[in-house]
Amino acid sequence: MPAGCRRFLSAVLSAALFAGTAGILGGCRKGFGKDAEGKVKVVATIYPMYDFVKRIGGDLVACSMMVPAGTEPHSWEPSTRDMMMLEEADLFVYNGAGIEAWAGDLLETTQNKKLVAVEASKDVDLLRTSEVHFDGDGYEEEHEEGSSEEGHHHHGEYDPHVWLSPKNAEKEMTAIADALISIDGEHADTYRKNLEEEKKACEELDSAFRESLKPYAGKYIVVAHEAYGYLCRDYGLIQIGIEGVSADQEPDAARMRSIIDMVDKYGIKSIFFEELVDPKVANTIASETGCKSVALSPLDGMSQKDIDAGRDYFSVMKDNLDAIVSSFS
Amino acid sequence: MPAILQYAYMQRALLVGLLLSVIVACLGTVMVHKRLSLIGDALSHSSLAGVAIGLLGGFNPILGAMGVCIVAAFSIEAIRKKLGNHSELAVAIVMSTGIGLAGVLSGFVRSSADFNSFLFGSIVAISGFEARLVLILAVIVLVAFVLLYKELFYISFDEQAASISGVPVGVVNAIFTILTAVTVSIAARTVGALIISSLLVVPVAAAMSIARSYKTTVLWAIFVSAVSTIGGLVMSFYLGLKPGGTIVLISVVFFLLFRFLGFLRGRSMSSKGA
Repeated sequence: MPAGCRRFLSAVLSAALFAGTAGILGGCRKGFGKDAEGKVKVVATIYPMYDFVKRIGGDLVACSMMVPAGTEPHSWEPSTRDMMMLEEADLFVYNGAGIEAWAGDLLETTQNKKLVAVEASKDVDLLRTSEVHFDGDGYEEEHEEGSSEEGHHHHGEYDPHVWLSPKNAEKEMTAIADALISIDGEHADTYRKNLEEEKKACEELDSAFRESLKPYAGKYIVVAHEAYGYLCRDYGLIQIGIEGVSADQEPDAARMRSIIDMVDKYGIKSIFFEELVDPKVANTIASETGCKSVALSPLDGMSQKDIDAGRDYFSVMKDNLDAIVSSFS
Repeated sequence: MPAILQYAYMQRALLVGLLLSVIVACLGTVMVHKRLSLIGDALSHSSLAGVAIGLLGGFNPILGAMGVCIVAAFSIEAIRKKLGNHSELAVAIVMSTGIGLAGVLSGFVRSSADFNSFLFGSIVAISGFEARLVLILAVIVLVAFVLLYKELFYISFDEQAASISGVPVGVVNAIFTILTAVTVSIAARTVGALIISSLLVVPVAAAMSIARSYKTTVLWAIFVSAVSTIGGLVMSFYLGLKPGGTIVLISVVFFLLFRFLGFLRGRSMSSKGA
C-alpha cells in the first residue's frame, strides 16, 4: 500500500508539475511565436545547451529551453507541450551521455520529418561513471595508480556533465555549429565566425583554470554530487561526491563517516553544495568538520533569477573557479 | 568511545531517532487501536501540500506542513465518524485530497530545490534546529501520554463506554489528533516520511502479537521501535546500508518474530487446555 501510494503520489505530482508549468509558461511559450519567423527554430534540452546555441546562433536562431530553469534535469520528464514545440522545431540539441534519459523516446515519437537532432557530446571523450566515483576505501592506492573503484552502483554508464570542462564545451559548440550550418547554410559564415569567438573564449577559460589550479594538482574537493569528473580530469583534482553521479541518492551513515574522515585527513576547508540539491547533508558535514559550505554550480539547472541577472556559462564557470581556488588557500 | 559515537551527526541521529521512536510508538498505539494505521501515510503525504502552501505564501514551510497536517487529521476524525462501518475510507479520502492538493500546488512552486529540501528528511543529516524541535515535541507528547494514560486506555477499548463513564473523549481525541499531526509533520522533515509512517504501525502490530495488556503493548511497541531505530543506524554506520529502509525492515523482522512467538505460545496454551 505505501509503495503504491508513493508511486501514485509521484505520478500525480509530475502530472501536476507539467500542467502547472505549462499553465505558467503558457503565456510566454506559445510555440515559437511570431518573433521566430525566418529564424532557425531550436529546442535545447538543458541550460548549457541553450546557452551554447544562443552563442553560436545569435539573432539567427529562436531557441527554447526544454527543461524549465531551476529544475534538476535528472528527474524531469517532457510534457505534451514540449512535444508540440518539437513538432515546430528545425533543430533539437541535447547533451546526451544519458542526462536526458527521455531524449530517445522523444525523437522516436516526433512526427517532425525535417527535424535535425544533434547530440552535442558526440565528439567528447566520455568518462565512465565508475571512473568518476571516488570512494573512501583504499583511496590512496587508487589515486596513486590513477584508477578508481569499479562497478559502483550508478545509473547510466557515462558521466553526462561534460560541459563542466571548457575543452568539452568547445567540442559541444562545434557540434552545434555544424548542425546549424547544415540547416541554414546561407548564414554559415556567421555561425563559423561566432564559433571562432567562442572557441577563443573557451581557450581563455581553459588556461585560466589551468594556471589557477596548477599549484593544487592532486587536491580534493567535496561536492554535492559527482558532477565534476571532467573538470577534475582536466585540471588534476579529485572530487569526493556526497551523492553519486545522479543527484537522487540519500547518503548512508557509513558514506557520511568516510567523507568526514577524508575532510579531516586532507585538510579540506570547504564543502561545495549546489542550488538544486538539498543542502542539508552538505551543511551537516560542514558543521561536523568546521568547513564552510560554498556554492558550486554544475550549470544544468541554472535558475531563472540567474539567467535574468545576465549570468551565463562563462561567468558561472569563472565563479566556480574562484570558489575552488579560494577553498584551497 | 566506539567510533559510532565520535561523530556529531551520529550522536544527533541516535538521540533524535530514539526520542522519535519512543513518542511515535506511543502515538502509534493510540492510532492503531482507533483503526487508523495508515494515518501516518495520509498525514505525511498531506503535509506536502502544506510545504507548497508555505513556499507560495512566503512563510515557513514547516508551519505550513503542521497546519495542513492538523486540518487533515481532524478531517479524518470527522469523516471517520460519519462513515460508520467504512471508517477506514476516511484515511484514503484525506490522503487522496492531500496528494491532489500537493500536486496542483507544487506546479506553482518555481524552484524544485526549495521544494525538495522540505519534502525529504534524512536521519543522518539533522540540523541543530530540527534536533531542538524534536526534543520539545518529545517532552510534550510524553507528558500528554502519561497524564492522559488512563483516559486513552478507556477510549482504546470502547469510546462509547468511556464517554458514559465520564471520560472527555472529544477533548482527549482532539489532543492526540493534534499531537500526531504535529509529530508527523516535523518527523517527516527530520528523519523522512518512510520511517515515521512505518514506525507508527509496525512496532505496535509486533507488540500486539505478544502483549497481553494495553500497558505491555505500549512498552513492547516502544522497545521494538527504539531497537529498530538504533539497530538500523548502527547497521547503516558499519555496513553502509540506507538508514531509513534498514530501520523499517528491522521492525518488520520483529513483527514476524513476535508473531511466531505468539503462535508458539498460543499453541502451548491450547494444548494445555485440551
